[in-house]
Amino acid sequence: MLILGVLLIGIPVVVGGIFSCVEDMRGKLLFRWVSGQFLLWAGFQVISVPLIIRGQDFGRLVWAFWLYMAALMLFALGWGIRRGSFLLHVDKEGKAKQSSELILWGICAAMLLFQLVQAVRLAYADGDDAYYVAISASTQDSDTMYLRVPYTGETTLLNFRHSLAPFPIWIAFLAKVSGMSAVMVAQTVLPVVLISMSYAIFYLIGAKLFPEGGGQLALYMIFTELLVLFGDYSFYTAENFMIARSRQGKAALGNIVIPFLVLLLLLLMKRLQEEQRVPVPLYLLVGAAAVTGCLCSTLGALLICMAVGIAGLSAAVCYKKFRFLLPLAACCMPCVCYALLYLLLAD
Amino acid sequence: MWIEAVKLFREYMGTGLIVVWFLVSVIYLWVHEKKKYVRVLFLYMPVILLLLYFNPLFAELVFGVAGGEIYYRIIWLLPITIVIAYTCVCIYGDMVRKHNDSARDRTPEGKVKKGLPSIAAVVCLGGLIVISGSFIYDNPFFHKAENLYHVPDSVVHICDAINVPGREVMAVFPLELVQYVRQYSPVTRMPYGREMTVERWNYYNPLCEAMEAEVIDMEVLAPLVKEAECHYVVLPTARKKIGKPEDYGWILFGETDGYEVYREPARELTIPE
Repeated sequence: MLILGVLLIGIPVVVGGIFSCVEDMRGKLLFRWVSGQFLLWAGFQVISVPLIIRGQDFGRLVWAFWLYMAALMLFALGWGIRRGSFLLHVDKEGKAKQSSELILWGICAAMLLFQLVQAVRLAYADGDDAYYVAISASTQDSDTMYLRVPYTGETTLLNFRHSLAPFPIWIAFLAKVSGMSAVMVAQTVLPVVLISMSYAIFYLIGAKLFPEGGGQLALYMIFTELLVLFGDYSFYTAENFMIARSRQGKAALGNIVIPFLVLLLLLLMKRLQEEQRVPVPLYLLVGAAAVTGCLCSTLGALLICMAVGIAGLSAAVCYKKFRFLLPLAACCMPCVCYALLYLLLAD
Repeated sequence: MWIEAVKLFREYMGTGLIVVWFLVSVIYLWVHEKKKYVRVLFLYMPVILLLLYFNPLFAELVFGVAGGEIYYRIIWLLPITIVIAYTCVCIYGDMVRKHNDSARDRTPEGKVKKGLPSIAAVVCLGGLIVISGSFIYDNPFFHKAENLYHVPDSVVHICDAINVPGREVMAVFPLELVQYVRQYSPVTRMPYGREMTVERWNYYNPLCEAMEAEVIDMEVLAPLVKEAECHYVVLPTARKKIGKPEDYGWILFGETDGYEVYREPARELTIPE
């Protein structure tokens, strides 16, 4: 469990230090955590897909990803020391919170805690787990990737369609490194972490929408949690996926990648509005989000391109600025590559 | 395709009220929102997305490439939760401001507290969400987890009993267990799995049919089990059987959680050194 804590919280927070210059916003630590995790996910996708397609062992991927993480951590530490932002800065608000505000944050925390406890306490019977979780378990056990039929365990030829979005292999990586079984990582540990991450992103969006913070931000979070808790109005909603099927890549796409992309676009457009230069790491993060979208689901490539394209073009027309469209289009190139690969390889 | 896109949208909406509140929020922001970047992300983007979603040419393209089943995921790009939550806070802020302005006019000190009306506004908006939505934990697919693996205890007990260190075993399970077996135990192989539980995939397996028969006919089941080269057969204890499994050479290996586990000795099960 400690190893998983380091892998899912410690390392992303350190790596996220690379992006500390992107925004000096409320919730800086959360921003570091989420952005660091996105860079790690993007790297996992870039490393794993060629290895999977070439039929390499899972063990080789584990080593390659360890090396990538180590390199990123060294770079982040060096970068932090050079910029003097190595230490985490605690938000120095200094403002005493009103009792009403404290009550609102208390309600907010209680609702979140309730959802996290339920994520461990309750099981959700979803047939798709028989595919995704079984892929993770089989990968951890057999040291092969996508070369077993997850439903039966027979050996098979590579399934290209699913292998281009290897989120279950990332779960297998966590399981292998932590020594826990893949099913326990997927069904018990990850929901707690990923639901928390979703709310961290909602919080960061709220912090941007309500920069004065205070009761408004707490209220926004309460409404957000209510909408998630009462979001089971159909089987297809992103909220249903977030609470019930958080261990599946498509749930991470709908509730982590897309909201994070909204946050990044919000940061980018705010910069455009204030006529500030858009920092390169922000574009890097958009690129990382795009690649992570592909890691989560093959449809991620299309959804990310649509979101970036529509928001980018709308912003360009509104602000009458078109230069930022070029780097934004470059951020979508990985999605285009994965989509082409999908069209070429998938049956 | 367009009709299917509409059908999927209708299914996504469920009762429809939350999506209605989203559209109301978009209209509210259209009238009141001044920040350009908020307008781009919360107004223009959703409107263009909806136009694209309902565009028959676009729908045909996506249906052709990715399949129709997942077309609804485009709706995930609509920031429904964020927009409604943001609008609720904006409405609340407006109400508090108006209340404060009118109260300030009435009191000589000019100081006012947020007080009851603002709390009532929050409760009303929250209540609206609660009434319009559906509580996620009321979903019938949720149940109390029996263990930290979130699979039935029966699967854990059976797999632990039949597994042999260092090798795989082939076992046939009743349909209600197949989706869990390989999540918990990747060394347990099965002649059929979850694909048999999805009706629209139209898979057929005679062994599955024999296993799921209301009354299990051993005369039919035994040769199919042998043909599938199974080491073990898991049968519900309560299910009626025609014929005794022991008469077909099967050995009762154990009984747990309402299931009988039989060893089919025809298939050798050597333990690797």
